[in-house]
Amino acid sequence: MTVAQRSIQDLEVGQSIGTIQIPITLQRLVMEAGANRDLSLIHHDGNVARTTGASDAYANTFFLMGMFERLCRDWMGPGGRITNLGPMKMLAFNVVGDTVTFSGEVAKVDPAAGRVTLSLAAGNEQGRKAICDAVLEWR
Amino acid sequence: MSQPAWGKYGSWEETESYLGKVIRVSEGADAVEAGSIRRWLEPKEFDCAIHNDDEAAKAAGYEGIVAPATMVFTYGLPAYWQPGDPPAQAGDEPRQIPIPVIFDVPAPCTLSFATSVDVQFHAPMHIGDRLTVTHRLVDIAKKSLSVGDGAFLTQEDTYTNQRDEIVAISRLVIFRFNPPGDSE
Repeated sequence: MTVAQRSIQDLEVGQSIGTIQIPITLQRLVMEAGANRDLSLIHHDGNVARTTGASDAYANTFFLMGMFERLCRDWMGPGGRITNLGPMKMLAFNVVGDTVTFSGEVAKVDPAAGRVTLSLAAGNEQGRKAICDAVLEWR
Repeated sequence: MSQPAWGKYGSWEETESYLGKVIRVSEGADAVEAGSIRRWLEPKEFDCAIHNDDEAAKAAGYEGIVAPATMVFTYGLPAYWQPGDPPAQAGDEPRQIPIPVIFDVPAPCTLSFATSVDVQFHAPMHIGDRLTVTHRLVDIAKKSLSVGDGAFLTQEDTYTNQRDEIVAISRLVIFRFNPPGDSE
């Protein structure tokens, strides 16, 4: 584990929780589909994806949720719990060839309850592709 | 090739007859285990020891290795094929992820997409746990969008483990619609 446990004590609303950049390749989508079991064709078959208005195969909901979980976990460390993820709103397709940046900031801090709310986003230079809130609890 | 089927067809009256009801109960195909966790972490380059190291997980307050919380969706999915199912035939329609609010609830619509998902996490998932998912239709909101006329259908999924503990409750919103020009 590369990340130490973070303390809730010195957090400020608006502070960044860091970023993750990940290239969306067809190989990654295929690995992801096999691992998360969403085998819908739009997530690994570009021809089918194009009939639905996307420019190529695109990342599925489970991948986006999982990447938002990773973003929270990388920042929080191993000790806390993610108690709520969402609502995650999907705004645009994350297609093969995109490099997607996952980012977030602290939206609310309640040290007495040991609870932090984060505002998360995924996107690239063309704009936001998904947004999501997260609630984390320290123990 | 044939286009995938995209939803069960029926009238809005039929759609509304499902409101508030359980529309499907699914058994997850696989128990929680370390290999499937590893393969899920791999494409996300997700590195946290509570997901692959017993001692690290115990130090963080778990019984042992714990699955990532959002793997609940994966462990709730039924098999795409299981013993006893008929063999595939050339030209069969491709299998899609079985989303009950699309494939079990009739609606006068030909297309659909997911717009949002919101999930609360409760009991952690440890090695050996098995999930059952109870799917309910909890809201129908008709709407005209630029892509077409249809309705937002909200599916509430309650994930429980073999001890009947609630693992997660998710709310998935799907817009089912007809593109402009298509009659209902």
